Amino acid sequence: MLSHITRRILLMIPNVIAMTFLLFATVSSFLGSPAAAMLGQEASLEEIAALNKQYGFDRPIIVQYLDWIAHALRGDFGRSYTSQQSVADALLPTIPVTLELSLWAILLAVVATVLFNSVPFARRVVQPITTTLAVIGITIPNFMLGICLIFIFAVKLRWLPTTGWVPWSAGVGAHLSHIILPVVTLAANYFGSFTLVYREEYKAAYRRLFIKVARAKGLSETRVSLVHALPNAILPVVTYVGLSLGPLVGGAVVTEMVFSMPGVGRLFVGAIGAHDFPVMLAIGILVIFGVMVANLVSDIVYTSINRQVSLG
Amino acid sequence: MTTVSENRAPSVSPWREKLGKLSVRQSIGLMIITVLIVLGILAPYLGLSDPNQSSLDILQRASASHWFGTDALGRDVFSRVIHGIRVSVLIGFGVGVLGTVLGVPIGLIAGYARGTIDLFILQIIDLFVALPALILALIITAIVGSTAINIALVLGFVMWPQMARLVRGQVIFIRESVYVEAARALGGSPGWIIRQHILPNAIRLVVAQFSITVAFGIFSSASLSFLGLGVPPPTPDWGTMVREGVQFLAFSPLMSIAPGAAVTLTVLGFYLLGSKDD
Repeated sequence: MLSHITRRILLMIPNVIAMTFLLFATVSSFLGSPAAAMLGQEASLEEIAALNKQYGFDRPIIVQYLDWIAHALRGDFGRSYTSQQSVADALLPTIPVTLELSLWAILLAVVATVLFNSVPFARRVVQPITTTLAVIGITIPNFMLGICLIFIFAVKLRWLPTTGWVPWSAGVGAHLSHIILPVVTLAANYFGSFTLVYREEYKAAYRRLFIKVARAKGLSETRVSLVHALPNAILPVVTYVGLSLGPLVGGAVVTEMVFSMPGVGRLFVGAIGAHDFPVMLAIGILVIFGVMVANLVSDIVYTSINRQVSLG
Repeated sequence: MTTVSENRAPSVSPWREKLGKLSVRQSIGLMIITVLIVLGILAPYLGLSDPNQSSLDILQRASASHWFGTDALGRDVFSRVIHGIRVSVLIGFGVGVLGTVLGVPIGLIAGYARGTIDLFILQIIDLFVALPALILALIITAIVGSTAINIALVLGFVMWPQMARLVRGQVIFIRESVYVEAARALGGSPGWIIRQHILPNAIRLVVAQFSITVAFGIFSSASLSFLGLGVPPPTPDWGTMVREGVQFLAFSPLMSIAPGAAVTLTVLGFYLLGSKDD
């Protein structure tokens, strides 16, 4: 067990270094000299060279990378080219927004997946509906679903505000009314992929011996389904959530843009539009790092629970 | 003597046979795609107004002359949605082809070689699958410029690992089968065994995954263009149209919902064609 965790952590370190370095090198080499971008087209070659020297852009890329990491570890991600604000100051307030959106959406999607797919008495009736919903959830782009929800609930029915974000401090009702549509939008997408995983596992659980034993004991279908099959099918879904956090991040970015939420995704897209190199790089590297840590944690949790299951 | 000829195996090529019949789901998908592709090819000959021709009739609501209304430059939204099939499907196919060209050989090698090579390739696949693909695609596209070819290359590059992983799994499964063992015992070279036995048996899976890759290629490229990294104007591009139309949602909803529905329908078609029934 411990050797497995150690091996995973040891494997992760080169992966993180390789990926973040690749990203750093790609961004820096393709964008050309950041000094040229900062000074504009009229700058002379001497001015560019001077600024490159001042910021250290003339050093080898590996030195720049190590320098960036050393500063990042102290919480210094450089300054935004466009706003001249420190990247950390711009980034910090956006993180809770994105985390809240994602956590609500994952929670809602997991609960909906379990509810829709394991109610035994209604399975025959519910299953075709669930399948249709799951396929739609997977194939509808977040922006399309978001716009449709805004159109129905904000423009036509006027029940909810169209876009924007209100912190908890402005009142629970106001906060929730702003966050409900984005959460549903993002959760629909997750619901689709979670359902696929959950169904496979649920079917697999039903083929196993302990289900047959439970049935042979005369337990009701409801009990067999909820007490025996469900716990065995939900664990892989939780692992799947951890392992596919990377692909799931994309949906959050699009959702934030649709609903103009001041999250990491919107900051990132803004930085991309403005070629704001330090902000792009900081968010890119942090997301890669976060996703890899999440993968590691879910892998460790999964193996340790699995171990207990097989031992117990 | 007649029994001999009756018992002879029908002369269907191993490839043709393995593609097999389509399920209900796949037939629906195929129908959607066929209609879309025919519309896309015929778009210039359908008598629609020029999709890039701006006019003074700006921001018209849906009417008999403009079925989906007009956009902020007075261009006909219906015509732009139909013409938008072309760039979306082309990018999707580009992603699918690149994902297949990279993923199939890598998966074959990993599955057939096993051992250290397999472990190494699996590491790379797992790393790629876990990466935030859209974030990477956004960064790379922003750097290299968002032309249709670049978008297809970038998305194909982030999407090959799923194909490689599937092919690898299938190859490992097939190579353990009795007939592959027999072929090996008869002295078949690895290349011959892969061509004759493994590829024909993996082809159904590869075709299905190709379709799924096209679906998510279209999905992701639409997301990129919604975020502002679409193909350069004035080419009609669904994601960009949604982005531009969304500010007029209350006034003329079809301006953004129609191209959004077009993306959804196209993704749905390719997804259904590639997915299996449960």
